[in-house]
Amino acid sequence: MPLKESEAIILRTYPLREADLLVTFFTRLEGKVRGVARSAKKSKRRFGGALEPLTYVRAYYEDREGQELTRLDSCDVIESPLANEVSYPRAVALGHVAELLGELLPEREANDAVFRLTLSVLATLSGANVWMPVTYFELWLTRLTGFLPELSECIVCGEALNGSRAFFHALADGLMCPEDKRLASAEMSSDSRSLAAQMFRAPVESFSSTTWAKARASDLRKFLVQTLERHIEKKLVTAAMLEKISS
Amino acid sequence: MSRFAEPMTRLIDELKKLPGIGSKSAQRLAFHILRSTDADAEALADAVRDVKAKLRLCSVCNNITDVDPCIYCSSTTRNQRLVCVVEEPTNIAAIEKTRHFHGAYHVLHGSISPLRGVGPEELRISNLLRRVESGQVDEIILATNPTVDGEATAVYLSGQLKRPGLKVTRIAMGIPVGSDIEYADEITMLKAMEGRREL
Ligand SMILES: [Zn+2]
Ligand SMILES: [Zn+2]
Repeated sequence: MPLKESEAIILRTYPLREADLLVTFFTRLEGKVRGVARSAKKSKRRFGGALEPLTYVRAYYEDREGQELTRLDSCDVIESPLANEVSYPRAVALGHVAELLGELLPEREANDAVFRLTLSVLATLSGANVWMPVTYFELWLTRLTGFLPELSECIVCGEALNGSRAFFHALADGLMCPEDKRLASAEMSSDSRSLAAQMFRAPVESFSSTTWAKARASDLRKFLVQTLERHIEKKLVTAAMLEKISS
Repeated sequence: MSRFAEPMTRLIDELKKLPGIGSKSAQRLAFHILRSTDADAEALADAVRDVKAKLRLCSVCNNITDVDPCIYCSSTTRNQRLVCVVEEPTNIAAIEKTRHFHGAYHVLHGSISPLRGVGPEELRISNLLRRVESGQVDEIILATNPTVDGEATAVYLSGQLKRPGLKVTRIAMGIPVGSDIEYADEITMLKAMEGRREL
């Protein structure tokens, strides 16, 4: 079969047998693809650092008759996450992006909007200040994968939430007004809701001039993570690690 | 129902747990052991038992050793005030190959790895911090892998270790980015040591 060529973002690698790596990568051409990089663990000549998570590469791969896994032939690095200092918060944020894409993208289904979102967020995720890019990525990814409920009205009574308080709950599929909120609901501030609305209207770069404290929009992130975890039916490892970061 | 007698099935099952060993290889190894002499089989069993019974972690540096402290930590010819931090015990051999490093070691037994849920609290660094705290160290060389996880670990450690009078350096990227120290050739390793930088 012919060699395919596509821009791609490496999501994750797993050791396979003695010297090979199993690689999950997000291609622009046909979405998430799983493949085998032969001898990648032992000989670094062909791949070098190209298989590090979140490396933006040009990938060459070949599907094999009757085989589920593609053969990853080679990768040229376009942009490496190692070009900037890998602080602990940045490492966790990068891992979070990789985990979310790995969990949410279906196999072999191109999604150019998510691809462009990822590239633009990675570009702003170059320093230790991770909260804005993480929030932007979670918000847009939730929307682009179709899991984001309407944020402007109560899911129970349908009343508009503009100007009123709004609540969310791990088991509810959207925001609720004060009358309809469940027991042990958390509140989402109107600041965070208007921030979400702003983020839907502007590119990620336009938010990168201000430094965010962890507390900013933490209610929005909690809501988004709960929404996504409910859909994938598992806990996100990196969401818990982000939660533990102190600043 | 198994096709083999119970002791054979047991041996095959145990061998299958080894990395890179599938059913076929496990059967082949098991039959090889069955055909070998009693002495050879005993020697293998003893070696397996001893590796668990006699080896432990060095209380100073976490290296795997049969004597505590290990040969590097108890050496009087090595510079004990220069400590090279590595991810795995096997990385020590790669550095020793250069024959140009005469300091001591500290083994982390892993690296920070967010995707695998491994955070800084899982790193074995308490004895390293104690060594630094008691003024026994002049320089720490961070020789974690040149990967995202290895870099995150090095950056985190440099923040934890930073104190007046202590030099913290990072090996240079002479080693191909994304690779594993275990597979680095001698000259690359030597270059990386020479080109280490302060964080
Ligand atoms: Zn309502
Ligand atoms: Zn030792």
